[in-house]
Amino acid sequence: MVELQKDRITRGDFLSFGFIGAVMGAILTIPPAAFVLSPVIKTNVLGQSDVSQDWQMVGPIDDVPDGEPIVIEVDFPIDQIYGNNEVQEQFPDTQKSNEEFAVRSAIWLSWQDGQRPEELQGINGSLTQEQRQLAEENLNILSNICAHLGCPVRWVIVEGEGEFLCPCHGGIYDINGGYIGGPPPRGMFRYPVREVREDGNLYIRHEFDDEDGIPGLTTTRPHVV
Amino acid sequence: MVDWMEDRTGIVTQLEHFLYEPVPKRGAWLYTLGSATLFLIVLQFLTGILLLFYYVPTTDHAWNSVYYIMNEAYFGQLIRGIHYWSANFLLAVIGLHMARTFFSGSYKAPREWNWITGVILLLLVIGLAFTGYLLRWDQDGFWASVVGIKIGSYSPFIGGYVANFLLGGDVAGPATLARFFAIHVWLLPAALAPFIGIHLYLLRRHGEFGNQFEYTDRLAKLHEQQRLEEYARYELDGEEDGAEEDGRNGEDRENGRYSDRE
Repeated sequence: MVELQKDRITRGDFLSFGFIGAVMGAILTIPPAAFVLSPVIKTNVLGQSDVSQDWQMVGPIDDVPDGEPIVIEVDFPIDQIYGNNEVQEQFPDTQKSNEEFAVRSAIWLSWQDGQRPEELQGINGSLTQEQRQLAEENLNILSNICAHLGCPVRWVIVEGEGEFLCPCHGGIYDINGGYIGGPPPRGMFRYPVREVREDGNLYIRHEFDDEDGIPGLTTTRPHVV
Repeated sequence: MVDWMEDRTGIVTQLEHFLYEPVPKRGAWLYTLGSATLFLIVLQFLTGILLLFYYVPTTDHAWNSVYYIMNEAYFGQLIRGIHYWSANFLLAVIGLHMARTFFSGSYKAPREWNWITGVILLLLVIGLAFTGYLLRWDQDGFWASVVGIKIGSYSPFIGGYVANFLLGGDVAGPATLARFFAIHVWLLPAALAPFIGIHLYLLRRHGEFGNQFEYTDRLAKLHEQQRLEEYARYELDGEEDGAEEDGRNGEDRENGRYSDRE
C-alpha cells in the first residue's frame, strides 16, 4: 500500500487547512464561475431578457388569407453583448450607434381554423374597436420554431389538407398550431401578447405561452428564438 | 548528441518504446488506431491555429471570414478542408479505437484509468465538434446548434439553465457565437491536452501488451534472443569462414610454425 500522509493530521491542522482552503477556494472559483454564468443569472434567476420588450409590427391583418397561413419575418432588437446604450444615445449618428442587432423570427399568421370572421371581410381604412378585438381573438400568431428541437416548420399540403411539418423529425401541427403527431411535446409556440391597431396592423411583443413539460421538472420554452 | 539527450531526458528510450511497441500479432494494425487519433488531433490543433489568423468570431463577420478563407486566402481551402475532414475522421477513428479497446479487453485491470481518460477525451472531442459547427455561422451550423441546445434544454431540472448557459442569454445571438468560440478555441483544447498526456503516460506505464515489468522482461528476453541469434550467426559465419581459413591459412600457419620450429 502507498502511504499518503506520514504525519498525523491534528484537529488544529484540519480546521486551519479547511478554513484557509474554503476561503481560497471561494476566492478562486466564485469570480470566474459568476463571470461565465452571468447570462444564466440574468435570464434564469433574475428573469431578464435580451430581447426588447417593445411592440414590433408584424404587418396588416388584411393580408392574412383564408384557409392557409402566411409567414412574415419580424426582427426583434436584442441587447446581448454588443453595444452600450449610453454611448449610443450620446452619439446617435455614428455608424456603431445605428447598427441594430436583432433576432429574426419567422411568424406564421392565419385565421382561427383558416376562416376569416365575416365582420372582417373586406376591411379597409380604420378598424372599429369591435373589429380589432375580434381580429385579436381570431388570429393565430405562431412562432415557426418547432416545439420539439427548434427547427423551422413549414406549411405543406398533404392529400389536399394543409399542415405544419417540421423537416427535422417530422413533427406535425394543424393550422391553429395544435399538436397532431410526431415527437413534439406540445403545440407550436404562440405569441399571446398581441395588439391590432386602428390602421389594421398587427403588433406583438416577444413573449410565448409557456407550458409545463414534464410536470414539476421542466417547462417547455422556445429557448432559442 | 543522442547520448547527451538520452542522459538528460531519457527521450531516446521513450521514443524507442513508442516506435517499437510490441503488439499482439493478431490484428496488429488495429493497434495503430490510437496513434491515428493522436495524429488527427495534432492536425486539428495545427490547422485550427492557422484558421485563427483569418477567422473573426462575430455574427456580422464570421461567415464572411470563412468565405475569405475558402476563396481568397492561399491554400485556405486546403487548411480548412483538413480541419473539417480531420474533425469528421477523428470521431470515426475514435469510435474504431474504442471498439478495438473493447473487443481486445484492453480496458481491464490495470488499464481502467486509460479507459476512463479515453472516455473523457471522447466527450471533449464531441464538445469540440459541437461547438465548432456553429462557428461557420451558416444555416447548417446555426440550426444544428439550435437543435443541440434544445436537446440540452430537455435535461431534467437544469434544462433551462443549460440552454441559457450555452446561448449566453435567452436567444441565439452574438453572445452565443462568442461563447461557442471561447469553448471551441480555448476551453476544450486546454482541457484536452492534459488528458492526452495522462492517456499517453498510462499507456507507457502499462504498455499495449502487458505492464511495465512484463514489458521490461519481454524486452530483455527479446534482446537476449537477438543477441543469441547474432552470436549464432557469428559463430556460423565464423565456422564457415574458419573452415576455409583452416583449409588454407591454418595449414600455412601450422606449416609456418612448424617451419619456425624447424
